[in-house]
Amino acid sequence: MNGENNISLSHDKRANEILEVILSFARLDFAQKVSISSDDDVLDGIGAGVNMLGEELKHSALTIKEKEQLIIEKEHLLKEIHHRVKNNLQIVSSLLNLQSENIIDAKFLELIKESQNRINSMALVHEMLYKSVDLSKVDLKEYIQVLTGSVNMSYSSPTKAINFNYDIEAGIFLGVDTMIPIGLMLNEILSNSFKYAFPDKQNGIISIKLKRDKNNIDLIVFDNGIGLKKNFDIKKQGSLGMQLVHMLGEQIDAKISVKSEEGTHYEINFTIQ
Amino acid sequence: MEVPKNAINIEGYWTWMGSDGIARTKVKPDSEITLEQAIENGKAVTSLFIDKKFPILIDSRGIRSMTREAREQFSLNGRESKTSAFGIIIKSPLSRVLGNFFMGVNKPTVPTRLFDNEDDAIQWLKNYV
Repeated sequence: MNGENNISLSHDKRANEILEVILSFARLDFAQKVSISSDDDVLDGIGAGVNMLGEELKHSALTIKEKEQLIIEKEHLLKEIHHRVKNNLQIVSSLLNLQSENIIDAKFLELIKESQNRINSMALVHEMLYKSVDLSKVDLKEYIQVLTGSVNMSYSSPTKAINFNYDIEAGIFLGVDTMIPIGLMLNEILSNSFKYAFPDKQNGIISIKLKRDKNNIDLIVFDNGIGLKKNFDIKKQGSLGMQLVHMLGEQIDAKISVKSEEGTHYEINFTIQ
Repeated sequence: MEVPKNAINIEGYWTWMGSDGIARTKVKPDSEITLEQAIENGKAVTSLFIDKKFPILIDSRGIRSMTREAREQFSLNGRESKTSAFGIIIKSPLSRVLGNFFMGVNKPTVPTRLFDNEDDAIQWLKNYV
């Protein structure tokens, strides 16, 4: 009887040990192991199974941790890249600024300003990307509002007041491949309005509408200025700005229409994934 | 399973080729198989290769434990290219759990079956000679 009791006690102790190890797994502590006797009995078999399970769980936990770490590192890297691109673009813009200090030629100064605005419209995309939550998409509404403010400042004049009207649908986010061309096109259109739409007027209005229908985006920019010359054709324009609008539109498969209707009316229609 | 004198003798295992074209590897009593031993076993089995893939009978009855890395090595290593099937003898409770775990978790890529007697295992492995 005593011998049987001893075996039973020993079995209880071993079963408890197995249970303890299983509970430690539940606490995500996979280092604990069941000791295996030389009896090679059922409890040893169960213990060996629990031990192997612990090894597999430890491996899976490590794999998940490594993947999480990789994602964090990738996010940091991406943030850093966008930050550096933005900084480098701003350096180029500042260099242009420095160069322009010694220039008197008004036409050349104008060209430098146009280049700076183009660079700034791209830098803004990268700035907004590294500040965004998922580092891959830019809020189009926010971008338009910041860009219009920046172009307004660039062309501001004490004798002229240009106001903006916004009718922009919120919640439209674009990836960098679409955002850069859209930003540049918008910059060209706004710059054109500032430069040519209001030659004599002291006040002007530029309206921006943005609508989404499923994957279809409609961006409309119109001003209440003097409108376009007769027979205007965007494809045949000699100015770099309009060439850019046409070329960038092709890049994102956008349909662009330009017409004169109590001012100039641009409509850019494109699809997003 | 009788170990012949000419068996390859490495830490944890004896390995040899049977006259029936079925290789054998027998775990030494109370062995705790590590990755290093699994790699050495793989080399021993590969050394038996001449020109044709062969099945292998694994007598795991003496095993006490096998690390995760060793199990992975057995399921993925180059031996797959030299072996056509695994027949694993799992008579003891420990070897039974280990064999089933190996089958269920590590999933060997050659046909593998567990047996509790040598004769049945050999009979099945003859299909892969």
